[in-house]
Amino acid sequence: MEILTQKNAAPPSSNYLLEFWRKFQRNRMGLVGLGMLTAIILVAVFAPLIAPHVPGSSLTIGVSDIYKPPSAEHLFGTDDAGADVFSNFIHGARVSLTVGFFAAFISIFIGGLLGIVAGFFGGRVENFIMRFTDVMLVIPELPLMVVIIALTKPSLLNIIFVIGLLGWTTTARMVRSQTLAVKSRKFVLRARAIGSGKAHIIRRHILPLVMPILVVQAVLVVSLAVLNESTLSFLGLGDPTTLSWGQMLNYAFGRGAMSTGAWWALVFPGFGIVWVVLGLTLLGQGLEQVFNPRLDTHHLMPGRPVVTSEAGVKPVKPGTLLDVQNLSINYVTEGKPPARAVENISFTLKEGELLGLVGESGCGKTTLMLALLRLLPSAGQIVGGKVFFSGRDLTALGEEEMNEVRWSGISIVFQGAMNALNPVRTVGDQIAEAIIQHVPTFPRDKISARVTELLDLVGIAADHKDHFPHQYSGGMRQRAMIAMALACNPQVIIADEPTTALDVMIQAQILELLDELRRKLGLAVVFVTHDLGIVAEMCDHVLVMYGGVTAEYADVDIIYNEPRHPYTQELLKAFPDLTKPKKKLSSIPGYPPRLDALPAGCRFAPRCPAAFERCHIEEPALHRIGANGHLASCHLIAEKR
Amino acid sequence: MSRSQYILKKFGWALLTIALVLILNFFLFRVLPGDPARAGVHDPRLKKESIEAIRVRYGLDKPVINCFETLNPVKVGSCSVNPLDTQFFIYMKNLLSGELGISYHNNRPVATILAERLWNTILLIGAGQILSIIVGAFFGMLAAWKARTSIDYGALATSLVVWSLPTFWLGIILLFWGSANGLPIGGKATPGLSSYPLWEQWKDIGRHMILPTLTYTLVYMGEYMLIMRSSLLDVLSEDYILTAKAKGLGIFQILRDHALKNAMLPLVTIIAINLGFTVAGAVQIETVFSWPGLGGAVFEAVNRRDFPVLQGAFLLITVTVILANLIADLMYSYLDPRIQAE
Repeated sequence: MEILTQKNAAPPSSNYLLEFWRKFQRNRMGLVGLGMLTAIILVAVFAPLIAPHVPGSSLTIGVSDIYKPPSAEHLFGTDDAGADVFSNFIHGARVSLTVGFFAAFISIFIGGLLGIVAGFFGGRVENFIMRFTDVMLVIPELPLMVVIIALTKPSLLNIIFVIGLLGWTTTARMVRSQTLAVKSRKFVLRARAIGSGKAHIIRRHILPLVMPILVVQAVLVVSLAVLNESTLSFLGLGDPTTLSWGQMLNYAFGRGAMSTGAWWALVFPGFGIVWVVLGLTLLGQGLEQVFNPRLDTHHLMPGRPVVTSEAGVKPVKPGTLLDVQNLSINYVTEGKPPARAVENISFTLKEGELLGLVGESGCGKTTLMLALLRLLPSAGQIVGGKVFFSGRDLTALGEEEMNEVRWSGISIVFQGAMNALNPVRTVGDQIAEAIIQHVPTFPRDKISARVTELLDLVGIAADHKDHFPHQYSGGMRQRAMIAMALACNPQVIIADEPTTALDVMIQAQILELLDELRRKLGLAVVFVTHDLGIVAEMCDHVLVMYGGVTAEYADVDIIYNEPRHPYTQELLKAFPDLTKPKKKLSSIPGYPPRLDALPAGCRFAPRCPAAFERCHIEEPALHRIGANGHLASCHLIAEKR
Repeated sequence: MSRSQYILKKFGWALLTIALVLILNFFLFRVLPGDPARAGVHDPRLKKESIEAIRVRYGLDKPVINCFETLNPVKVGSCSVNPLDTQFFIYMKNLLSGELGISYHNNRPVATILAERLWNTILLIGAGQILSIIVGAFFGMLAAWKARTSIDYGALATSLVVWSLPTFWLGIILLFWGSANGLPIGGKATPGLSSYPLWEQWKDIGRHMILPTLTYTLVYMGEYMLIMRSSLLDVLSEDYILTAKAKGLGIFQILRDHALKNAMLPLVTIIAINLGFTVAGAVQIETVFSWPGLGGAVFEAVNRRDFPVLQGAFLLITVTVILANLIADLMYSYLDPRIQAE
C-alpha cells in the first residue's frame, strides 16, 4: 500500500494539514466516522453530567428493580443488579475508549518504531525484526491474551498493556514497506549524500511520509483494541472494578438476561461497541481514500454509448479495408467539461498497407487505436465519426458482434507486453484460447501444432510453448504477443509502440518480422510510434497527430521531403539523419497540451516556431495540398495560397 | 526460487515457530504470577505435606531447567542437574509423546479432553470459513465487477458494518432470534439421541450448527468481500484483461478464465493470515453457543483456573494455526506458477 502519489514529492510543507483538511471535508465516509467518534468521545468526557444515575448507587433498589424493561425513568431498562443500563452505558464509554486509545498508542509506538528501524537500517536488523514479526503474526492473538491475563491479575492496566503489546504486528509490516519506499526517494538520498545524521533523516524526511500510514493504521488499531477489550471482558477477564461495555455484557449474559428475556441488557451495551468500531472504521476508510485515492475503474466496466450521425458519411472506396471518417473521442469526468482527446481524425487502410501513426506521447494515438476496437476505458466516449471495416460500421455494432470482429478481423499488439499476457497461464494456452474463440470448428488435435507454427513464425522455439510469461524475456513476450495477434489470420494488425522499452537489436528483429509478415500474409498494419526512423523505413503512409488532431497526413515520401506542418518539420529535425551526419539535432521545447486545458486556436501554436496572431485565435482547417491526398492543418498553407 | 526450495523454507519456518511456541508456552505458565504451583498454595486446607504431594504429582518439585531451581533469576540453582530430570525436559518429552498433563478440574488427561474438542472446533471453523469465503468472495466479485454502482456501495456498506460487530454480541443477538424461531440454542447435539439412526444424529448436529455457523459467516464475510473486491479490481485493471477483451472474449469468459484465479491469490494469503483471528471468533462463538470445542475449553479453563487445560488448549490452537498457515503457503505455491521448479 503506497500512499504517496508523486515519486519525488518533497517533504510535506506547513500548509499540508490545511490542504489535507480541505480534501477530507469532501469525503463523506470519513466525516460520518469522525462525527460518530466525536459524539461518543463527548459522551465519555461529560459522562457524569449526562448519566441520570450514579453507577453503583444501590440505595433505592428493590426486588422489582431487577431487569426492568426500558421506560421513561430507565431509558435502557435496568440490569441484573437493578442498576440503570443507560447510566452504565454512558460510563462504560469511558472505560472502553480509555483502553482502546492507550492500548493503541502502545501498539502504534512499537509497530512504528520497529517498522521504521527495519525499513531504514535494513540488513540483519531488518531480517531479525521481520522474522520476529512473522512469528508473532502467526500466533493467535486472542488466546495468547487470554492466557496472559488469566495468569496475571485482570486489572485495567494489565488489559491495556497486554492488548497494546500484542497488537503492533501489522503496523510494523506496513510501516516497514512504506519506509523502504520512502528511503529511495530523491530528497532522502540527497540528505544522506550531504551527510545528514540518521536521526535527523528519520525525523525530518522519513517520519512525515510514513505518518499517513501510521494515522490510518492507528485508527484501525484503536478499533481492534476496543473489540479486544470487550471480548476479554465478556469472557470474564475484565477488570471487575470497572464497568466497560464488554463487562456489562458479561454480567448480563452470565446472570440470566437471556432466559429472563431482558434483551435491553444485552443489546444496548453492544450498540456502544458497534458505534465506536463503525465510527473508527468509517474514519479509517475515509482517511485511506484521502491519502491514497483510487479510481476504482477497470477494463470490464460498460463503455459509454457511441454517439455518431449519418450526416456527411462518405461511401467507402472499393479495396479499402479500414476507413475511419471524422472520428472524435472525449474523456468524460463527472463535474468537469469533457476532455477532447481525439477530434475529426480520418484515414484509410488498404490491404497490405502499412500506416505509420506518429506523434509525441499524450497526442491521442493510443486512444484512437482503442476506439477502433471499441476498447476505450469507461470514461472514453466516441462522440462523432464512423469506422468502417470490410464494409461494416464498427461504431454501430453491439458488444457481441464487436467480439467477432475483435482479433479475427482486427487484432492489436499493445504497448509494453510486460503485463499484456496473463501471468498464471502458459503462453501457448493463451494463444490457443484465441483460436478456439474465433474458429470453433478448428480441430482440437491440431491446435497445438498451430500454436507451435505461430511461435515458430515469430522465432520462438516450440519448447517454450508451455512456459509461463515470467519465464520469457521482454523481447520474447513481445514476439509472443505478435504470434497471438496472428493466431486468427486477421486482416488488420494494430501495433501500438510494440518496440518501446526493448533494446535496439530486438526492436529491429520485431520490426523486420512485422514487415515480413505483411508481405507474406498480406496484412494491413497500423504502426503507432514516435520513432520517425522506423516510419521512413517501413511505412507507406504517415499520419502525424498532435494534441488529438491531424497535423499532417500524406505518403511517406511527402512527409520526409516536403512536410508542410511545422510540427512535422520539428519532429524531423529532432531525429538523426544518416545522410547528413553533421546536422545538429534539435528538440521541440515544451510538451503537448493537456487535454483538459487545450489552447485556443491551433493546438500546436504555443510551441510553434512559425506561429502568428491568427494561430492563437482560430483553429486551422485541414487543407488539401496537391492531388495525391496530402493533408495538413496549418494556417500557413492558406496564407501562402 | 525453485518450488522445492520454497516449500523447504516454509517447512523450516513452521517448525521453528512451533519450537518457539513450545518454549513460550512452557515459560509463560511458570514465569507469570498465576503459575500452577502457587495456585494451590493459597488453599488454607492444604498442609505443607499435601502441597508437597501435589507438587510431586504435577512434577513441580523438579528444577525448572539447568542452573535454575525456580524461575527467579537471582536464585541460581545447580547447573550440574541431570538435564533429563528438569521440568523443561520432562515437558518436552511429554509433549512429543502427546502427553499434555492432567486437568486440575476433573483429573482426566488434558490430551483426551482436547482431542474430542479439536474436531468440534475444526467442524465449526471449517463450515464457517467455507461459507464466509464463498459468500464474501461472491459479493466481492460482484462489487468489483459492478464497481461504482449501487450494488458496489451496498456491498461496501454491509461489509463495513459486519466488520464492526463484536462476534460474541452478534452471537447473542442471533441467539435471541434463533430461540424465538425454535432453533437449538446451545451445545452440539440434543441429549438422548444416541439410539437414533446416524443420519438423524447428523441432522441434529446440523441444526445445532446453524446459529454458530451463521454468526461466523456474517462476521468474517465482510473482510473477505473487501479483499476480493480490491483484489479483483486490481486484476481487472491489468493489461492482460484488456488483451483478453481485445481477443473478443465475453465478460463471463474473461472473469472465469483470466480474472478469478489471479484475484484468488491474495485471498489465499489473507485466509492464512486470518486463521489466527478466526480462532478468536471460535472462542467467542463457542462460549456464546456452549459449543464443545477448543475455544469453549479455553473459556471454561479460565473460569476454573484449570491451567493444564488452558496450557494444552493454547498449544493445540497455536500449533494447528501454524500448520494451517503452512498448508495455505503450500497451496499458494501451486496456484501461482511464478513459484515454480526451474
